[in-house]
Amino acid sequence: MRIDRSTLSRAVPAAILLLLLAVLVTGCETDTPQNTFAADGEVARDQRDLFYLAMWPAIFIMLFVELGLVVILLRFRRRRADEVPAQIHGNTRLELAWTIAPALLLLVLAVPMMSLLFKLGDDPGEDAFVVNVTGIRFVWKFDYPDVKGPDGQPLSSAPGDPLVFPAARKIRFNVTSLDVIHSFWIPRLGGKLDAVPQRDNRFWLKADEPGTWSGQCAEFCGLDHANMKLVAEALSEEDFDAWVEEKLAGIKTSSDAAGAISAPAR
Amino acid sequence: MENAVVSGHHLETSTGLDNRKLLMWVFLASECLFFGSLIAAYLLYRDRSVVGPYPDDVFDIPFTSVSAFVLLMSSVSMVLALASIQRGDRRGLQVWLFTTAMLGVLFISGQAYEFTEFHHEGLTLDRNLFGTTFFVLTGFHGAHVTVGVLVLLSLFAMTLQGKITQAESLHIELAGLYWHFVDIVWIVIFTLIYLIQP
Amino acid sequence: MATAIGRRRPSLAEALRSAREVAATGHGIWSWLATVDHKRIGILYGFSAFFFFILGGIEALLIRIQLITPESEFLNPDQYNRIFTMHGTTMVFLVVMPLSSAFFNLLVPLMIGARDVAFPRLNAFSYWTFLVGGIFLNASFFTGGNIFQGELGAPDAGWFGYSTLTSTKFSPGHGVDFWVFGLQILGVASLAGGFNFIVTILNMRAPGMSLFRMPLFVWMTLVTSFLIVFAMPVIAVALFELMFDRLFDANFFNPDAGGNPLLWQHMFWLFGHPEVYILILPAMGIVSEILPTFARKPLFGYPFVVFSGLAIGFMSWGVWVHHMYTTGLGTVANAAFGVSTIMIGVPTGVKIFNWMATLWGGSIRLSTALLFAVGFVGMFTIGGLSGITHSMVPSDYQQQDTYYVVAHFHYVLFGGAIFGLFGGAYYWFPKFTGRLMNEGLGQINFWTLLIGFNLTFFPMHMSGLLGMPRRIYTYSEGQGWDLWNMMATIGAFVIACSVSVFIVNLILSLTRGEKSGDDPWDARTLEWSLPSPVPHYNFKEIPQVHALDDFWHRKYTEDEAGRPIPVVAGGSGQDEEHEEHDGHDIHMPSPSYFPLIASLGFPFIATGLIYHTALVPVGAALLLVGLYGWAMEPATEESA
Repeated sequence: MRIDRSTLSRAVPAAILLLLLAVLVTGCETDTPQNTFAADGEVARDQRDLFYLAMWPAIFIMLFVELGLVVILLRFRRRRADEVPAQIHGNTRLELAWTIAPALLLLVLAVPMMSLLFKLGDDPGEDAFVVNVTGIRFVWKFDYPDVKGPDGQPLSSAPGDPLVFPAARKIRFNVTSLDVIHSFWIPRLGGKLDAVPQRDNRFWLKADEPGTWSGQCAEFCGLDHANMKLVAEALSEEDFDAWVEEKLAGIKTSSDAAGAISAPAR
Repeated sequence: MENAVVSGHHLETSTGLDNRKLLMWVFLASECLFFGSLIAAYLLYRDRSVVGPYPDDVFDIPFTSVSAFVLLMSSVSMVLALASIQRGDRRGLQVWLFTTAMLGVLFISGQAYEFTEFHHEGLTLDRNLFGTTFFVLTGFHGAHVTVGVLVLLSLFAMTLQGKITQAESLHIELAGLYWHFVDIVWIVIFTLIYLIQP
Repeated sequence: MATAIGRRRPSLAEALRSAREVAATGHGIWSWLATVDHKRIGILYGFSAFFFFILGGIEALLIRIQLITPESEFLNPDQYNRIFTMHGTTMVFLVVMPLSSAFFNLLVPLMIGARDVAFPRLNAFSYWTFLVGGIFLNASFFTGGNIFQGELGAPDAGWFGYSTLTSTKFSPGHGVDFWVFGLQILGVASLAGGFNFIVTILNMRAPGMSLFRMPLFVWMTLVTSFLIVFAMPVIAVALFELMFDRLFDANFFNPDAGGNPLLWQHMFWLFGHPEVYILILPAMGIVSEILPTFARKPLFGYPFVVFSGLAIGFMSWGVWVHHMYTTGLGTVANAAFGVSTIMIGVPTGVKIFNWMATLWGGSIRLSTALLFAVGFVGMFTIGGLSGITHSMVPSDYQQQDTYYVVAHFHYVLFGGAIFGLFGGAYYWFPKFTGRLMNEGLGQINFWTLLIGFNLTFFPMHMSGLLGMPRRIYTYSEGQGWDLWNMMATIGAFVIACSVSVFIVNLILSLTRGEKSGDDPWDARTLEWSLPSPVPHYNFKEIPQVHALDDFWHRKYTEDEAGRPIPVVAGGSGQDEEHEEHDGHDIHMPSPSYFPLIASLGFPFIATGLIYHTALVPVGAALLLVGLYGWAMEPATEESA
């Protein structure tokens, strides 16, 4: 069986390119529950935009290298068995150029990267609503220290209950674990933060508008890691106040009923 | 050019160093990372023990200073052992090799006594961070000293059988390199763990 | 054996000597068990690592079958967790590292003009310890109950074993113990190899071979070996600490006693990041040999490529936190390591352009070996670019622990290292067997592997960014991940077909491959000046080296315009010596069983520490007997 090499060396990269285009054409921002590009919050949006900033030069370099390799293989393939080309050992200026140019490009990318890094690391301020997140194999538990009941105790939900918080406000999450390392992640609102036992990790997220999202544990934590999921619900300020009142009064609200994740029998 | 592939002393090597000597240096460099990681764990966990005993409760600096001195002196005797065989003095080699090994044994005995005392005072491997990091670090160091003592005694036995002459002084030199390294590690441990208290 | 009247039974010393004599004949299994010949050790490494590649590949297929659809029940979570743990552990420690060792062993002495490595018995010890460690680790599968009913005992805490999951509280079985001890044993093997090749390369180069006249593969071996001897002690300490926690209730990673679970991650990744360069640099070295040979042009910018390798070696120590961006170390730490991670992309990327420039203007023969090397360049580029996107720290907060990472590292480790190693197999197969691998089958192997590999791993970029985390035994419908997972599973089976083609090619070529001659590729480095297969003493006379690519310069000189012209007659220059002497007067190191005996001590010690302490002294005795015999026996017969 003779395989025509030059056809294949054209066909395969072409197929890969078509695949890529198909991906890009179908769109990255489809409305699936945990699509990091379907950003519904400021943090997710900023992180996605930073990714695009790096992605386009990366795609360009990838095409340059892949197509370049195909062109080189076709153009310089051996035509006579005895042909020996000129023995070029290098070109210092060229090599310096292709060392310095990528370094400069990367340095340029580093600027928005650092800027966003520090923005996300900044304290969200006094106005932020605080939620304490605890990972316990294999559920999430949320406590709301800003919300005090009539007895002065902060509001806490049962393990597996959904996360409920006000929309259009920065939410500060204090994340920890009672057992092994987990990772708290609501992809459409932003990146993740690990839940480490005896450690108080903090970050902030924000939902632009009311909505419901899914998330799940993103650090391997044992047998049922795949099922350690969470439901996050952002409510408008009035709806959120109403929810708080109902919780404090001990009434099971529709949020709890609809989205609760049952804790596995232990 | 007749070339047998044997350890470097039959052959000119590209660096001029005997293969085995180069091996020992690279090995000791690697060991720096080994002990460095253990020392780092100790330092990172210093003052983080939730319960005692704490270093102040158990350390007997005068005692440990003496055992550190013993180990230091064993490096001196090791140097004398090497100097002896390099000038062909096989008797001197025997005396100083044996001395070095005995000083090593004395050091290990001091460690054993010290650890037993610590045990009686409630410091065990599982007690707290201090016990864990201290015993693992010094335990590995003690194991290295023990291996060194066994090697020295084996070499001593070989000298009694007349197997080590001036031409084979490399064996003594290699043992010396290892021994000095183990001593230096102890100097670092003694300084960082015993002497420098935050 | 009949004992005639008057004949006494042989003494132990005589029995050992006759065992050595049997081994020294070079025939039969005993000669392989006692071999200290770097070429045989290389072949042993190669076949053993390839066996583990099949094992790890089967584990991958099981993973992919489970994930082909949502909510699949093909594997239960316990089985899945053990299989993905073993897949990762196997591919890193039992496949890529030993395959690299195979190439170090086969090639380094030949490329520097030496007859063997500096310490042949230490070399054998490295191999046997690796084999014994790999078997020990895989033996864990059988310790979980009835394996035929799917009860597995293998470790299940991931190849990275994060604390506190690995504590006895959360991993009460023995799986993690097998992982700890298995990796320790493998670490000893790697360390021994690292020491050996550093001394070999620094000390045993032929006269005239300065460091900057060494083949690039030898440079990469040197840098890799230094990385090994500095990185392995760190994970050895981490594993000892975990062992003390599990066996003796120590507190290294116990948060209740004030211990920090992140300490494990710091130590693991301080080892782990140099480790990934340990995994890739040898393959980069292989590619740097293949491309010039098949383009008939020197490596473009040899000094730059050397320096970039050295730079990567140094810088690899300063980036480890990029595996921990989401652990909450703080903005400043993340920023510092973000910068260092961005910077390490530069020396890595530079090589891509040097390789392309090597091919540019060449006369390229599109053999299978060359295609694999070009495949490396193409695939590694994609993996490197996704790595650059990881270095954008805030967007890594989304990518971390998703299939996007899985895509990234498979592009660099499979599309990179494995492709490079396959290329090396096709390239150097003739040198050690005297036969060529079949080109037709090779082409099928390459193209199906390229297609299957991309079909498997490119979709993972998508599923990762669509929010699919790693290490999950199943996923729910409606996430938009179904198509990508199905593509990945189909791709995995295409890979399996490709590997099967390779196996067929290997067997056919070994038994009736076309004879290759000494220099079938018109290559540049010293090993091609020797007969194929290489005689046991390697060089009849140690060559005098005058230049980089010395062998090429013996074949070609340059005219006034700088164009190469073949040197008339003589060819490789070694033909005359084929007639003159036959190498009988060259004394090579004697075979020895003691490295094997010593390495057999390790699994006994480990099993003893896990199950019955009585086994520990048995193992220690084996180790001591092995080491003592090794120390006392002479290295070559002449000094016996």
